[in-house]
Amino acid sequence: MTNEEKGGIGRAAQPLNSPFAGRRTVHIVVCLKQIIDPEIAPSEFQIDPVCKEQIRGKHALVISTFDEHALEVAVQAKEKTGGKVTALTIAGEEGSEALHTALAIGADEVVLLSDPTFSDTDSFGKTRILAAALHKLGEFDAVLCGRQAGDVELGVTGPFLAEELGLPCIALVANIEPDRDRVRLRRPVENGYEILEAPLPFVATVTNDESNVPRLPTVRAIRAAVRKAVPIWTAEEIGVEAGPEAAKIELQELFIPKREVRCEFIGGKSGQEKGENLALRLRELTLI
Amino acid sequence: MTGILVFSLASAEGLPRSSLELVAAAEQLREKLGDRIVQVALLGQGAESCAETLIHHGADEVLVASSPELQSYKTELILEVLEAVIERVSPAVVLFPADTVGGEIAPRLAYRLGAGIVTDCVGFELDAESRRIRWLRPVYGGKAMAYMVANGPVQIATFRQRAFEPLPEDTSRQGKVQALQVELEPAMAPVSLVEEVREEVEGISLDEAEIVISGGRGMGGPEAFSELETMAEILQGAVGSSRPPADSGWVPHAKLIGQTGKILSPNLYIAVGISGAPQHMAGIAAAKTIVAINKDEDAPIFKVAHLGVVDDWRQVVPALIRACRELVGN
Repeated sequence: MTNEEKGGIGRAAQPLNSPFAGRRTVHIVVCLKQIIDPEIAPSEFQIDPVCKEQIRGKHALVISTFDEHALEVAVQAKEKTGGKVTALTIAGEEGSEALHTALAIGADEVVLLSDPTFSDTDSFGKTRILAAALHKLGEFDAVLCGRQAGDVELGVTGPFLAEELGLPCIALVANIEPDRDRVRLRRPVENGYEILEAPLPFVATVTNDESNVPRLPTVRAIRAAVRKAVPIWTAEEIGVEAGPEAAKIELQELFIPKREVRCEFIGGKSGQEKGENLALRLRELTLI
Repeated sequence: MTGILVFSLASAEGLPRSSLELVAAAEQLREKLGDRIVQVALLGQGAESCAETLIHHGADEVLVASSPELQSYKTELILEVLEAVIERVSPAVVLFPADTVGGEIAPRLAYRLGAGIVTDCVGFELDAESRRIRWLRPVYGGKAMAYMVANGPVQIATFRQRAFEPLPEDTSRQGKVQALQVELEPAMAPVSLVEEVREEVEGISLDEAEIVISGGRGMGGPEAFSELETMAEILQGAVGSSRPPADSGWVPHAKLIGQTGKILSPNLYIAVGISGAPQHMAGIAAAKTIVAINKDEDAPIFKVAHLGVVDDWRQVVPALIRACRELVGN
């Protein structure tokens, strides 16, 4: 199915008053997920085995790690070519926090996709919600997602979205360089990288590398961001029915594995002797 | 008889090890589910030369689509071939490697087929009552594990590298090899490869290494990593790092092991001067044996290590290298 058949998912028009007049500017949409701070110590990590989710407790909510890298990639591309970055998230009211952070980092517009019916959906349902929101946005050149969420880590949203929108999909890229109607993407691979080219619009998932370390927003930017109102789009407003349906991906059981490892400490009178004893022990265990 | 289908993409370097691991996983599934055949969809240029290897490692039937167009970045074409294979053999389960190609193709195929998908699996079990497969996978950066179920006309799962060991080769094993007639329209692939840069690396890649030796902040600088390289050479392993050395530029970012880097499951993992932050541990949760060398006896790494040495690595590692050289004879 072509883009037109899918309902006119197309590219952004050149704004006349753009400071980049004469060149094509880009509209990049970044799909974010807000999660409980993944950097907390394992000892503070608790789950609710009945609800099958992490207990938030007093921990902060943050933008999921790879989504933050995706936002950085989008902002870097916009800074080069001109244009705008829109950040989307599906969440309850608390999702505006992630979107304020996105504004402070460099997103120009944000939308909170929020509806009581959204919480029960699996990745298939979430994909339809995001696609409906993209249709409402109308015009864009690129959709970026982090390579996987920092909590359930399924990593299916980007590829699912590409299928739903009928757009090319490029996985695990670290940079994008849009140029007129095409984009160059740099993808790190084992011992090197690939430069790929694709037509606009496209969907890509972003992985991290040294070139897309998320910037820290300035205090001024944070202050300015929190003053901005976050628009909320409900199911009705984007024309999607996200009722409870038979989930195709079902979480049956969540548990913290018991690690019953007791470390065997290698003795010795000196560091050197311990090194030698370690080698002997490794040999004994046929590990080397 | 519905089968278990394994996806394999061969390249100029031949068959990835993950294909043999997936055939081993499929064999275990067969044992649990009973009365199934293990089929492989083998794609890539010159793929037919790899078909026998798959049979010798446990596959019953190999469907080969050989075309120079079937490259890792031409995912539209790969998907087209896979859809045709699935229509033909109607598998109950399709297994993919959780790598760059599998990580994209598997969810896209699932979406097309309306099939449930579980990614990054490390194991599975069969629910005795419902006879459904419960796929086991790490979540929350390895801090928790989840059993997930895929619903739909076919189940799709991707497996982490080294979650299964390839079955021993049996050259007497017989199987069926079928060539698929594929007519691919190159123009159908919207993504093209402009440039490919690969550094020549000596030795074994991190992804494939059975022994991995990693350095952390305690290494103090880039020079110290050459000692780890020496040890890797002797043990035929590879060198990795935790986040501080990668962030400080002591080692290339490609060496980073952890939640935001490589996720490995080597037989032996030796952590030198690594404290054991959760983000790093997520990358080695599946390592079979973990050895920690750290002068701080309270370092969290000792809570997960099987063997530990509390001392300055500068004393320990040179002696360890000498002793390994003698024992291994390299």
